[in-house]
Amino acid sequence: MPRIPLLDFYVEKLGAEPGRFGDWEVPMLYTSAIEEHMSVRTSAGFFDVSHMGRVILKGPDVLDLIQKIYTKDLSKVKEGWLSGPTLALNEYARVKDDEMLYKVSDEEWLLVTNALVREKMLSYIKEIASKHDYHVEIRDMTFDYSMIALQGPRSPQILEELGAGWAADMKVLEFRINEEIMGRKVFLISRSGWTGEDGYEIWGEHKEIAGLVEKLVEKGVKPAGIIARDTLRMEMGFVLGGHEYGEDPLKYPCALSLRYGLGAISWKKHGFIGEEALRAYRREGVRWIRVGVKMGKKAARIIPREGAKLVVEDQVVGWVTSGSFSPVLKRGIAQAYIDARYAIFGEPIDVEVRGKLYQAKIVDFPFIRK
Amino acid sequence: MADEIIVEYKGRKYVVKTDRRYTETDEWAKPEENGVRVGITDYAQRELHDIVGVDLPEPGTRVKKGEELAVVESVKATSDVYSPVSGEVVEVNERLYEEPELLNKDPYGEGWIAIIKPDDPSELDELLSPEDYAERIKQGKAGH
Repeated sequence: MPRIPLLDFYVEKLGAEPGRFGDWEVPMLYTSAIEEHMSVRTSAGFFDVSHMGRVILKGPDVLDLIQKIYTKDLSKVKEGWLSGPTLALNEYARVKDDEMLYKVSDEEWLLVTNALVREKMLSYIKEIASKHDYHVEIRDMTFDYSMIALQGPRSPQILEELGAGWAADMKVLEFRINEEIMGRKVFLISRSGWTGEDGYEIWGEHKEIAGLVEKLVEKGVKPAGIIARDTLRMEMGFVLGGHEYGEDPLKYPCALSLRYGLGAISWKKHGFIGEEALRAYRREGVRWIRVGVKMGKKAARIIPREGAKLVVEDQVVGWVTSGSFSPVLKRGIAQAYIDARYAIFGEPIDVEVRGKLYQAKIVDFPFIRK
Repeated sequence: MADEIIVEYKGRKYVVKTDRRYTETDEWAKPEENGVRVGITDYAQRELHDIVGVDLPEPGTRVKKGEELAVVESVKATSDVYSPVSGEVVEVNERLYEEPELLNKDPYGEGWIAIIKPDDPSELDELLSPEDYAERIKQGKAGH
């Protein structure tokens, strides 16, 4: 079973409770997921996200390869910038993975995959490269470096206090390679994250990251686990593979139904895998739409979990893909697919939980105003 | 204090009160004048973490030993609370609707869930003693 390289350090030094995320052993939480969540929203917290797959692509045909696989036009990305998130589709226009791409140079890119599909994506990318005879070296570097996400409004100030004032000047989605913070070597630092807050993602050798973590904790940055990471992404309406999307066309609606936004699909671009099916959905319209569901006042403490049905006038019109509790709103919230004809923001809707109907509302993302 | 046992498992300490009995599914039951007071154990609340909601039965509901009595929502998961005895629910802790975090803060006291009038008070004797329950935690056998 793969595990976060610094897991023992987090358990022994910071009181982490380990648990399972897919096939990974990760810190689930430290003290309380709600406290950790609120620290990220109001101050700063850090997550170890070394379970994220990290792959290096190197060679003269790298742009051709990624243009073939991803829905976004990556031809104009500048060196030192992240592009994404963007989608890798299958031929049914279902999503294989949503990923971030980092342009190091014309012939070298890094990509970050979701943990649970890392191996699948690796062999898929290799298969596409070999099928089209692209000259690209593809290497999994996931276990070479630890990766942490420092997230929250105080993040730039904290790095500044640690002598890395240059980090506060970095733009959102900019990254740098081979830096140093408090004498700790950093392989890569980017201004990015998955919480809806300002912050950074930092990769480095395990012992360097452990040293950096100690400094962050000294500065009052709260360690946060994967449960808080999930509640944070839920408040923003960010999607997660295996919940909001997946490859099986019988189980998941097409990529367009995701309403992914963030420029993940470039319609002017041609030739990517899944394009034909995706354009057909665009032409003919989609049956399902991903929406937010916010529990009503009287059902505030009900959490609609994955699979809960959406009901209008005694008809089932949709289903929940992820449910959670919003520590900011103090309400149950969910992401759901709803029949496009009923996807009217602001309208009330019932959610069936344990055989009972509870009132909720159809809302747009994010659930909280930033 | 002699009214509790502190058990350690995987570097964490859990409290087991000696004035009540326990189920294998981590509920406690304490006989009182008007019935059996029921709640979840310190171990259970620690496992669930961040309890944010409850679904309690209506007073007057008939419950059976080992069947669903209440539902606890935590950030992590939705969990059933099973009744330690058969009988009639005579009172529920309505404060939990507003302050579900009491289940985390004080599982043996203010975080109680319900009072059940047992059909057969001797059913209580079939439950685990505090020492046996503490032993289960120590051996890693506690938990749903």
